[in-house]
Amino acid sequence: MTRLNRRSFTACAAACFVAIGIAQPAAADQAAETYVQNLLDEAAPRLTSGDQEAMLAAVDELVDKYVDMRRVGRFVLGRAARQMTDEQAAEYFPLFNDYAKMVYRNTMENYAGQKLVVTGSVDRAAYDIIVNSKVANPEPGDQFADAVIHWRIYRDKEGNMSIFDAGANEIWLAIEQQEQFTSIIANNGGGVKGIDALIKDMKARLNG
Amino acid sequence: MKLHAAIWVAPCAAFWLALAGTTASAQLSGAGDDPDALAKELENADAQADGSVRDPWEGFNRKMFAFNDGLDRKLMTPTAKAYRAVTHKKQRKGIRNFMANLRTPLIFVNDILQGEPKRAGETLGRFFINSTIGFGGMGDPAERMGIAQHSEDFGQTLAVWGVDSGPYMVLPFLGPSTMRDGFGAGVDLTLSPAFWISTDPAMYFQYTTAGVGVITAREPLIEPLDGIRADSLDFYASIRSFYLQSRKREINNGRTTYEDLPDIGDFEEFDELE
Repeated sequence: MTRLNRRSFTACAAACFVAIGIAQPAAADQAAETYVQNLLDEAAPRLTSGDQEAMLAAVDELVDKYVDMRRVGRFVLGRAARQMTDEQAAEYFPLFNDYAKMVYRNTMENYAGQKLVVTGSVDRAAYDIIVNSKVANPEPGDQFADAVIHWRIYRDKEGNMSIFDAGANEIWLAIEQQEQFTSIIANNGGGVKGIDALIKDMKARLNG
Repeated sequence: MKLHAAIWVAPCAAFWLALAGTTASAQLSGAGDDPDALAKELENADAQADGSVRDPWEGFNRKMFAFNDGLDRKLMTPTAKAYRAVTHKKQRKGIRNFMANLRTPLIFVNDILQGEPKRAGETLGRFFINSTIGFGGMGDPAERMGIAQHSEDFGQTLAVWGVDSGPYMVLPFLGPSTMRDGFGAGVDLTLSPAFWISTDPAMYFQYTTAGVGVITAREPLIEPLDGIRADSLDFYASIRSFYLQSRKREINNGRTTYEDLPDIGDFEEFDELE
Protein backbone atom coordinates (compact mmCIF):
# COMPACT_ATOMS: atom_id res chain seq x y z
CA MET A 1 0.00 0.00 0.00
CA THR A 2 1.47 3.34 -0.98
CA ARG A 3 1.81 6.14 1.49
CA LEU A 4 -1.01 8.00 -0.22
CA ASN A 5 -3.21 4.96 -0.12
CA ARG A 6 -2.46 4.38 3.53
CA ARG A 7 -3.40 7.98 4.23
CA SER A 8 -6.58 7.62 2.21
CA PHE A 9 -7.45 4.39 3.95
CA THR A 10 -6.81 5.94 7.37
CA ALA A 11 -8.89 8.98 6.47
CA CYS A 12 -11.74 6.81 5.19
CA ALA A 13 -11.61 4.60 8.27
CA ALA A 14 -11.63 7.64 10.53
CA ALA A 15 -14.52 9.15 8.60
CA CYS A 16 -16.47 5.90 8.81
CA PHE A 17 -15.74 5.64 12.52
CA VAL A 18 -16.93 9.19 13.12
CA ALA A 19 -19.96 8.66 10.89
CA ILE A 20 -20.91 5.50 12.73
CA GLY A 21 -20.38 7.25 16.03
CA ILE A 22 -22.63 10.10 14.99
CA ALA A 23 -25.26 7.92 13.37
CA GLN A 24 -25.66 5.56 16.29
CA PRO A 25 -28.58 6.43 18.52
CA ALA A 26 -27.98 6.77 22.23
CA ALA A 27 -27.95 3.38 23.89
CA ALA A 28 -31.22 1.84 24.86
CA ASP A 29 -31.69 0.65 28.42
CA GLN A 30 -33.52 -2.66 28.65
CA ALA A 31 -33.78 -2.62 32.44
CA ALA A 32 -35.39 0.82 32.46
CA GLU A 33 -37.77 -0.18 29.67
CA THR A 34 -38.84 -3.25 31.64
CA TYR A 35 -39.29 -1.12 34.75
CA VAL A 36 -41.63 1.27 32.92
CA GLN A 37 -43.52 -1.52 31.13
CA ASN A 38 -44.15 -3.15 34.52
CA LEU A 39 -45.53 0.15 35.77
CA LEU A 40 -47.77 0.48 32.71
CA ASP A 41 -48.98 -3.11 32.98
CA GLU A 42 -49.80 -2.57 36.64
CA ALA A 43 -51.48 0.76 35.99
CA ALA A 44 -53.61 -0.19 32.97
CA PRO A 45 -56.28 -2.34 34.66
CA ARG A 46 -56.44 -0.03 37.67
CA LEU A 47 -56.86 3.14 35.60
CA THR A 48 -59.45 1.66 33.27
CA SER A 49 -61.78 0.15 35.85
CA GLY A 50 -64.36 2.89 35.30
CA ASP A 51 -64.66 3.61 39.01
CA GLN A 52 -63.45 7.20 39.43
CA GLU A 53 -62.70 6.93 43.15
CA ALA A 54 -60.77 3.69 42.70
CA MET A 55 -58.85 5.18 39.81
CA LEU A 56 -57.76 8.23 41.78
CA ALA A 57 -56.74 6.04 44.70
CA ALA A 58 -54.76 3.88 42.29
CA VAL A 59 -52.89 6.93 40.99
CA ASP A 60 -51.85 7.80 44.55
CA GLU A 61 -50.66 4.26 45.21
CA LEU A 62 -48.73 4.06 41.95
CA VAL A 63 -47.10 7.42 42.63
CA ASP A 64 -46.07 6.27 46.11
CA LYS A 65 -44.61 3.09 44.65
CA TYR A 66 -42.81 4.42 41.56
CA VAL A 67 -42.13 8.15 41.95
CA ASP A 68 -39.34 9.47 44.14
CA MET A 69 -41.22 12.51 45.42
CA ARG A 70 -38.40 13.79 47.60
CA ARG A 71 -36.03 13.90 44.66
CA VAL A 72 -38.58 15.59 42.40
CA GLY A 73 -39.54 17.99 45.16
CA ARG A 74 -35.96 19.07 45.50
CA PHE A 75 -35.47 19.43 41.74
CA VAL A 76 -38.44 21.74 41.26
CA LEU A 77 -37.02 24.18 43.80
CA GLY A 78 -34.02 24.80 41.54
CA ARG A 79 -31.10 26.51 43.20
CA ALA A 80 -33.24 27.56 46.14
CA ALA A 81 -33.20 23.94 47.31
CA ARG A 82 -29.75 24.51 48.78
CA GLN A 83 -31.04 27.39 50.90
CA MET A 84 -34.03 25.57 52.37
CA THR A 85 -33.92 25.29 56.16
CA ASP A 86 -34.63 22.03 57.97
CA GLU A 87 -37.89 23.48 59.29
CA GLN A 88 -38.96 24.44 55.79
CA ALA A 89 -37.99 21.03 54.44
CA ALA A 90 -40.10 19.33 57.09
CA GLU A 91 -43.07 21.37 55.96
CA TYR A 92 -42.37 21.52 52.24
CA PHE A 93 -41.86 17.87 51.27
CA PRO A 94 -45.21 16.55 52.61
CA LEU A 95 -46.94 19.51 50.96
CA PHE A 96 -45.17 18.82 47.68
CA ASN A 97 -46.18 15.18 47.91
CA ASP A 98 -49.85 16.19 48.18
CA TYR A 99 -49.59 18.86 45.50
CA ALA A 100 -47.83 16.63 42.99
CA LYS A 101 -50.35 13.84 43.55
CA MET A 102 -53.14 16.29 42.84
CA VAL A 103 -51.47 17.23 39.55
CA TYR A 104 -50.81 13.58 38.63
CA ARG A 105 -54.43 12.67 39.38
CA ASN A 106 -55.75 15.43 37.15
CA THR A 107 -53.26 14.60 34.40
CA MET A 108 -53.92 10.88 34.49
CA GLU A 109 -57.66 11.46 34.20
CA ASN A 110 -57.03 12.63 30.64
CA TYR A 111 -55.33 9.38 29.80
CA ALA A 112 -57.78 7.07 31.49
CA GLY A 113 -58.79 4.23 29.23
CA GLN A 114 -55.53 4.25 27.31
CA LYS A 115 -53.16 1.30 27.39
CA LEU A 116 -49.55 2.31 26.86
CA VAL A 117 -46.66 0.24 25.56
CA VAL A 118 -42.95 1.00 25.78
CA THR A 119 -41.39 1.83 22.42
CA GLY A 120 -37.75 2.51 23.32
CA SER A 121 -35.34 4.35 25.55
CA VAL A 122 -32.38 6.70 25.55
CA ASP A 123 -29.60 6.84 28.15
CA ARG A 124 -28.72 10.43 29.04
CA ALA A 125 -26.38 9.16 31.75
CA ALA A 126 -26.01 6.06 33.87
CA TYR A 127 -28.45 7.57 36.34
CA ASP A 128 -30.74 9.38 33.89
CA ILE A 129 -32.75 7.42 31.32
CA ILE A 130 -35.66 8.43 29.11
CA VAL A 131 -38.17 5.67 28.33
CA ASN A 132 -40.76 6.36 25.63
CA SER A 133 -44.20 4.85 25.29
CA LYS A 134 -47.28 5.26 23.14
CA VAL A 135 -50.90 4.28 23.08
CA ALA A 136 -51.34 0.65 22.09
CA ASN A 137 -53.83 0.09 19.27
CA PRO A 138 -55.38 3.56 19.27
CA GLU A 139 -58.88 4.02 17.89
CA PRO A 140 -59.09 5.90 14.58
CA GLY A 141 -59.05 9.61 15.30
CA ASP A 142 -57.80 9.11 18.87
CA GLN A 143 -56.27 12.44 19.93
CA PHE A 144 -53.43 10.59 21.63
CA ALA A 145 -52.77 8.21 18.74
CA ASP A 146 -49.51 9.88 17.77
CA ALA A 147 -48.48 11.08 21.22
CA VAL A 148 -45.20 9.95 22.72
CA ILE A 149 -45.43 9.62 26.48
CA HIS A 150 -42.02 9.97 28.15
CA TRP A 151 -40.83 8.64 31.47
CA ARG A 152 -37.64 10.01 32.95
CA ILE A 153 -36.01 7.42 35.18
CA TYR A 154 -33.47 7.99 37.91
CA ARG A 155 -31.20 5.05 38.76
CA ASP A 156 -29.23 5.14 41.99
CA LYS A 157 -25.83 3.60 42.65
CA GLU A 158 -27.40 0.29 43.68
CA GLY A 159 -29.39 0.12 40.46
CA ASN A 160 -32.75 0.94 42.04
CA MET A 161 -34.97 2.91 39.70
CA SER A 162 -37.68 5.49 40.24
CA ILE A 163 -39.74 7.82 38.08
CA PHE A 164 -38.35 11.32 38.12
CA ASP A 165 -40.54 13.06 35.54
CA ALA A 166 -43.24 12.32 33.00
CA GLY A 167 -44.09 14.15 29.84
CA ALA A 168 -45.89 14.00 26.53
CA ASN A 169 -44.46 15.09 23.20
CA GLU A 170 -41.47 16.67 24.94
CA ILE A 171 -43.49 18.71 27.40
CA TRP A 172 -42.34 17.73 30.86
CA LEU A 173 -44.27 18.08 34.11
CA ALA A 174 -41.36 18.57 36.52
CA ILE A 175 -39.77 21.17 34.27
CA GLU A 176 -43.03 23.09 34.14
CA GLN A 177 -43.36 22.79 37.92
CA GLN A 178 -39.80 23.97 38.41
CA GLU A 179 -40.57 27.07 36.37
CA GLN A 180 -43.59 27.81 38.52
CA PHE A 181 -41.84 27.20 41.82
CA THR A 182 -38.69 29.14 41.00
CA SER A 183 -40.82 31.99 39.69
CA ILE A 184 -42.76 32.20 42.96
CA ILE A 185 -39.57 32.02 45.01
CA ALA A 186 -37.83 34.70 42.93
CA ASN A 187 -40.83 37.04 42.99
CA ASN A 188 -41.03 36.83 46.77
CA GLY A 189 -37.54 37.78 47.73
CA GLY A 190 -35.77 34.54 46.83
CA GLY A 191 -34.08 32.06 49.18
CA VAL A 192 -35.65 31.29 52.53
CA LYS A 193 -38.18 34.11 52.21
CA GLY A 194 -39.22 32.92 48.78
CA ILE A 195 -39.63 29.34 49.95
CA ASP A 196 -41.88 30.56 52.77
CA ALA A 197 -44.07 32.23 50.15
CA LEU A 198 -44.14 29.04 48.09
CA ILE A 199 -45.16 26.96 51.10
CA LYS A 200 -47.92 29.46 51.82
CA ASP A 201 -49.18 29.23 48.22
CA MET A 202 -49.10 25.44 48.29
CA LYS A 203 -51.12 25.35 51.50
CA ALA A 204 -53.65 27.78 50.04
CA ARG A 205 -54.02 25.68 46.88
CA LEU A 206 -54.36 22.38 48.72
CA ASN A 207 -56.82 23.79 51.21
CA GLY A 208 -58.71 25.84 48.64
CA MET B 1 -53.54 49.10 8.37
CA LYS B 2 -55.60 49.46 11.50
CA LEU B 3 -58.07 47.00 10.09
CA HIS B 4 -55.35 44.54 9.23
CA ALA B 5 -53.87 44.80 12.70
CA ALA B 6 -57.23 43.91 14.18
CA ILE B 7 -57.59 40.91 11.90
CA TRP B 8 -54.37 39.22 12.84
CA VAL B 9 -55.16 39.35 16.53
CA ALA B 10 -57.57 36.47 16.25
CA PRO B 11 -55.51 33.81 14.51
CA CYS B 12 -52.55 34.57 16.71
CA ALA B 13 -54.71 34.22 19.79
CA ALA B 14 -55.74 30.84 18.47
CA PHE B 15 -52.10 30.07 17.89
CA TRP B 16 -51.03 30.65 21.48
CA LEU B 17 -54.02 28.91 22.89
CA ALA B 18 -53.28 25.92 20.72
CA LEU B 19 -49.72 25.86 21.95
CA ALA B 20 -50.75 26.38 25.54
CA GLY B 21 -53.03 23.39 25.20
CA THR B 22 -49.92 21.26 25.50
CA THR B 23 -50.13 17.67 24.53
CA ALA B 24 -53.65 17.33 23.27
CA SER B 25 -53.05 19.23 20.07
CA ALA B 26 -49.41 18.49 19.52
CA GLN B 27 -48.54 16.74 16.29
CA LEU B 28 -45.82 14.15 16.07
CA SER B 29 -43.85 13.82 12.90
CA GLY B 30 -40.67 12.07 13.88
CA ALA B 31 -40.28 11.38 17.59
CA GLY B 32 -37.51 8.94 18.22
CA ASP B 33 -35.43 10.18 15.30
CA ASP B 34 -31.76 10.73 15.90
CA PRO B 35 -31.04 14.25 17.06
CA ASP B 36 -29.58 16.18 14.18
CA ALA B 37 -27.18 19.05 14.18
CA LEU B 38 -29.94 21.58 13.80
CA ALA B 39 -31.76 20.35 16.85
CA LYS B 40 -28.57 20.61 18.86
CA GLU B 41 -28.02 24.16 17.75
CA LEU B 42 -31.56 25.12 18.64
CA GLU B 43 -31.85 23.27 21.88
CA ASN B 44 -30.94 26.12 24.20
CA ALA B 45 -32.38 28.91 22.09
CA ASP B 46 -34.90 30.03 24.70
CA ALA B 47 -32.79 29.69 27.80
CA GLN B 48 -29.95 31.59 29.36
CA ALA B 49 -26.64 30.02 30.24
CA ASP B 50 -27.94 29.08 33.69
CA GLY B 51 -31.02 27.44 32.19
CA SER B 52 -33.47 30.09 33.35
CA VAL B 53 -36.02 31.59 30.98
CA ARG B 54 -35.25 34.97 29.45
CA ASP B 55 -38.14 37.10 30.64
CA PRO B 56 -36.73 40.58 31.26
CA TRP B 57 -40.14 42.21 30.81
CA GLU B 58 -41.93 39.98 33.29
CA GLY B 59 -43.75 42.87 34.97
CA PHE B 60 -45.30 44.04 31.70
CA ASN B 61 -45.83 40.49 30.55
CA ARG B 62 -47.77 39.56 33.69
CA LYS B 63 -50.09 42.54 33.21
CA MET B 64 -50.73 41.55 29.60
CA PHE B 65 -51.23 37.96 30.64
CA ALA B 66 -53.85 38.98 33.22
CA PHE B 67 -55.62 41.03 30.55
CA ASN B 68 -55.60 38.13 28.08
CA ASP B 69 -56.71 35.70 30.77
CA GLY B 70 -59.65 37.95 31.69
CA LEU B 71 -60.62 38.15 28.04
CA ASP B 72 -60.36 34.40 27.76
CA ARG B 73 -62.58 33.77 30.79
CA LYS B 74 -65.21 36.35 29.91
CA LEU B 75 -65.35 36.03 26.14
CA MET B 76 -63.38 33.16 24.64
CA THR B 77 -64.40 30.35 26.98
CA PRO B 78 -68.16 31.13 26.91
CA THR B 79 -68.01 31.44 23.11
CA ALA B 80 -66.15 28.14 22.80
CA LYS B 81 -68.70 26.44 25.08
CA ALA B 82 -71.58 27.85 23.07
CA TYR B 83 -69.94 26.62 19.87
CA ARG B 84 -69.60 23.16 21.38
CA ALA B 85 -73.23 23.19 22.46
CA VAL B 86 -74.61 23.91 19.01
CA THR B 87 -72.34 21.67 16.95
CA HIS B 88 -71.73 17.95 16.69
CA LYS B 89 -68.26 16.50 17.31
CA LYS B 90 -67.95 15.45 13.67
CA GLN B 91 -68.95 18.91 12.48
CA ARG B 92 -66.31 20.50 14.69
CA LYS B 93 -63.71 18.08 13.38
CA GLY B 94 -64.66 18.97 9.83
CA ILE B 95 -64.40 22.70 10.52
CA ARG B 96 -61.02 22.24 12.21
CA ASN B 97 -59.82 20.29 9.19
CA PHE B 98 -61.07 23.02 6.89
CA MET B 99 -59.26 25.73 8.86
CA ALA B 100 -56.09 23.64 8.91
CA ASN B 101 -56.31 23.18 5.16
CA LEU B 102 -56.52 26.94 4.69
CA ARG B 103 -53.18 27.28 6.47
CA THR B 104 -51.51 24.69 4.25
CA PRO B 105 -50.10 27.15 1.66
CA LEU B 106 -48.47 29.10 4.49
CA ILE B 107 -46.98 25.90 5.88
CA PHE B 108 -45.76 24.95 2.40
CA VAL B 109 -43.97 28.29 1.95
CA ASN B 110 -42.24 27.92 5.32
CA ASP B 111 -41.31 24.29 4.57
CA ILE B 112 -39.57 25.56 1.44
CA LEU B 113 -37.90 28.46 3.25
CA GLN B 114 -36.56 26.01 5.81
CA GLY B 115 -35.08 23.77 3.12
CA GLU B 116 -37.35 20.84 3.95
CA PRO B 117 -38.37 19.48 0.52
CA LYS B 118 -39.78 16.22 1.92
CA ARG B 119 -42.04 18.03 4.35
CA ALA B 120 -42.97 20.55 1.64
CA GLY B 121 -44.00 17.65 -0.58
CA GLU B 122 -46.12 16.20 2.20
CA THR B 123 -47.76 19.57 2.76
CA LEU B 124 -48.50 19.96 -0.93
CA GLY B 125 -49.83 16.42 -1.11
CA ARG B 126 -52.07 17.02 1.88
CA PHE B 127 -53.43 20.17 0.30
CA PHE B 128 -54.36 18.52 -3.00
CA ILE B 129 -55.75 15.36 -1.42
CA ASN B 130 -57.80 17.11 1.24
CA SER B 131 -59.01 19.87 -1.10
CA THR B 132 -60.33 17.31 -3.58
CA ILE B 133 -61.38 13.98 -2.16
CA GLY B 134 -61.46 15.59 1.29
CA PHE B 135 -64.45 17.73 0.28
CA GLY B 136 -62.63 21.04 0.16
CA GLY B 137 -60.63 20.31 3.29
CA MET B 138 -63.49 19.25 5.58
CA GLY B 139 -62.10 15.71 5.63
CA ASP B 140 -58.54 14.58 6.18
CA PRO B 141 -58.04 11.55 3.93
CA ALA B 142 -54.35 12.47 3.69
CA GLU B 143 -53.94 11.60 7.37
CA ARG B 144 -55.44 8.17 6.75
CA MET B 145 -52.99 7.73 3.86
CA GLY B 146 -50.16 8.28 6.32
CA ILE B 147 -49.37 11.89 5.45
CA ALA B 148 -49.45 13.47 8.88
CA GLN B 149 -50.19 17.12 9.45
CA HIS B 150 -47.40 19.34 10.72
CA SER B 151 -47.21 23.01 11.55
CA GLU B 152 -44.82 25.66 10.32
CA ASP B 153 -44.70 29.42 10.58
CA PHE B 154 -42.22 32.15 9.87
CA GLY B 155 -41.08 32.29 13.49
CA GLN B 156 -39.92 28.69 13.12
CA THR B 157 -38.29 29.54 9.82
CA LEU B 158 -36.35 32.36 11.46
CA ALA B 159 -35.23 29.94 14.17
CA VAL B 160 -34.00 27.49 11.54
CA TRP B 161 -32.11 30.34 9.91
CA GLY B 162 -30.35 30.91 13.22
CA VAL B 163 -32.27 33.91 14.50
CA ASP B 164 -32.24 34.00 18.29
CA SER B 165 -35.63 33.83 20.02
CA GLY B 166 -35.06 37.08 21.90
CA PRO B 167 -36.85 37.70 25.17
CA TYR B 168 -40.13 36.06 26.06
CA MET B 169 -43.09 38.39 25.84
CA VAL B 170 -46.84 38.37 26.20
CA LEU B 171 -48.68 40.54 23.73
CA PRO B 172 -52.15 41.92 24.35
CA PHE B 173 -54.66 39.66 22.55
CA LEU B 174 -51.86 37.67 20.91
CA GLY B 175 -50.62 35.92 24.04
CA PRO B 176 -47.27 34.22 24.69
CA SER B 177 -44.55 34.82 22.16
CA THR B 178 -40.96 35.85 21.77
CA MET B 179 -39.48 38.74 19.84
CA ARG B 180 -38.70 36.41 16.95
CA ASP B 181 -42.05 34.62 16.93
CA GLY B 182 -44.02 37.86 17.21
CA PHE B 183 -42.23 39.22 14.16
CA GLY B 184 -42.77 35.91 12.38
CA ALA B 185 -46.51 36.04 13.04
CA GLY B 186 -46.63 39.43 11.35
CA VAL B 187 -44.80 38.10 8.29
CA ASP B 188 -47.13 35.08 8.11
CA LEU B 189 -50.06 37.46 7.93
CA THR B 190 -48.63 39.15 4.88
CA LEU B 191 -48.19 35.79 3.14
CA SER B 192 -51.96 35.49 2.83
CA PRO B 193 -53.20 36.82 -0.55
CA ALA B 194 -56.29 38.20 1.17
CA PHE B 195 -54.05 40.54 3.17
CA TRP B 196 -53.17 42.45 0.02
CA ILE B 197 -56.70 42.73 -1.32
CA SER B 198 -58.69 45.68 -0.02
CA THR B 199 -62.12 44.64 -1.24
CA ASP B 200 -65.02 44.01 1.09
CA PRO B 201 -65.24 40.27 0.31
CA ALA B 202 -61.54 39.89 1.12
CA MET B 203 -62.06 41.70 4.41
CA TYR B 204 -65.07 39.54 5.29
CA PHE B 205 -63.07 36.45 4.42
CA GLN B 206 -60.27 37.48 6.74
CA TYR B 207 -62.63 38.39 9.58
CA THR B 208 -64.56 35.16 9.22
CA THR B 209 -61.56 32.88 9.02
CA ALA B 210 -59.94 34.69 11.95
CA GLY B 211 -63.03 34.39 14.11
CA VAL B 212 -63.72 30.76 13.22
CA GLY B 213 -60.04 29.97 13.66
CA VAL B 214 -60.02 31.26 17.22
CA ILE B 215 -63.20 29.45 18.23
CA THR B 216 -62.24 26.13 16.67
CA ALA B 217 -58.79 26.28 18.26
CA ARG B 218 -60.17 27.19 21.68
CA GLU B 219 -63.00 24.65 21.88
CA PRO B 220 -60.91 21.46 22.34
CA LEU B 221 -58.81 23.25 24.93
CA ILE B 222 -61.63 24.13 27.32
CA GLU B 223 -60.87 21.32 29.77
CA PRO B 224 -57.06 21.21 29.39
CA LEU B 225 -56.70 24.94 30.03
CA ASP B 226 -59.18 24.81 32.91
CA GLY B 227 -57.08 22.01 34.37
CA ILE B 228 -53.83 23.92 34.05
CA ARG B 229 -55.43 27.01 35.52
CA ALA B 230 -56.79 25.02 38.47
CA ASP B 231 -53.58 23.11 39.20
CA SER B 232 -51.08 25.91 38.76
CA LEU B 233 -49.56 27.81 41.62
CA ASP B 234 -48.37 30.38 39.07
CA PHE B 235 -50.52 30.20 35.93
CA TYR B 236 -48.32 32.73 34.12
CA ALA B 237 -45.14 30.72 34.67
CA SER B 238 -46.95 27.53 33.79
CA ILE B 239 -48.17 28.82 30.42
CA ARG B 240 -44.75 30.33 29.72
CA SER B 241 -43.15 26.93 30.28
CA PHE B 242 -45.71 25.08 28.15
CA TYR B 243 -45.34 27.63 25.36
CA LEU B 244 -41.55 27.51 25.27
CA GLN B 245 -41.40 23.71 25.55
CA SER B 246 -43.97 23.32 22.75
CA ARG B 247 -42.23 25.87 20.61
CA LYS B 248 -38.89 24.12 20.92
CA ARG B 249 -40.42 20.89 19.73
CA GLU B 250 -42.10 22.59 16.78
CA ILE B 251 -38.89 24.30 15.74
CA ASN B 252 -37.07 20.97 15.87
CA ASN B 253 -39.78 19.55 13.59
CA GLY B 254 -40.39 16.75 16.01
CA ARG B 255 -36.80 15.48 15.87
CA THR B 256 -36.46 14.47 19.44
CA THR B 257 -33.43 15.52 21.41
CA TYR B 258 -33.09 15.03 25.13
CA GLU B 259 -29.72 16.70 25.52
CA ASP B 260 -31.15 20.04 26.58
CA LEU B 261 -33.15 18.68 29.50
CA PRO B 262 -32.02 20.13 32.81
CA ASP B 263 -29.71 17.82 34.64
CA ILE B 264 -31.29 15.90 37.49
CA GLY B 265 -27.97 15.80 39.30
CA ASP B 266 -25.45 13.07 39.71
CA PHE B 267 -25.10 10.52 42.46
CA GLU B 268 -23.05 12.77 44.69
CA GLU B 269 -25.46 15.67 44.58
CA PHE B 270 -28.35 13.48 45.62
CA ASP B 271 -26.47 11.55 48.28
CA GLU B 272 -27.56 14.09 50.84
CA LEU B 273 -31.14 13.05 50.20
CA GLU B 274 -30.52 9.49 51.28
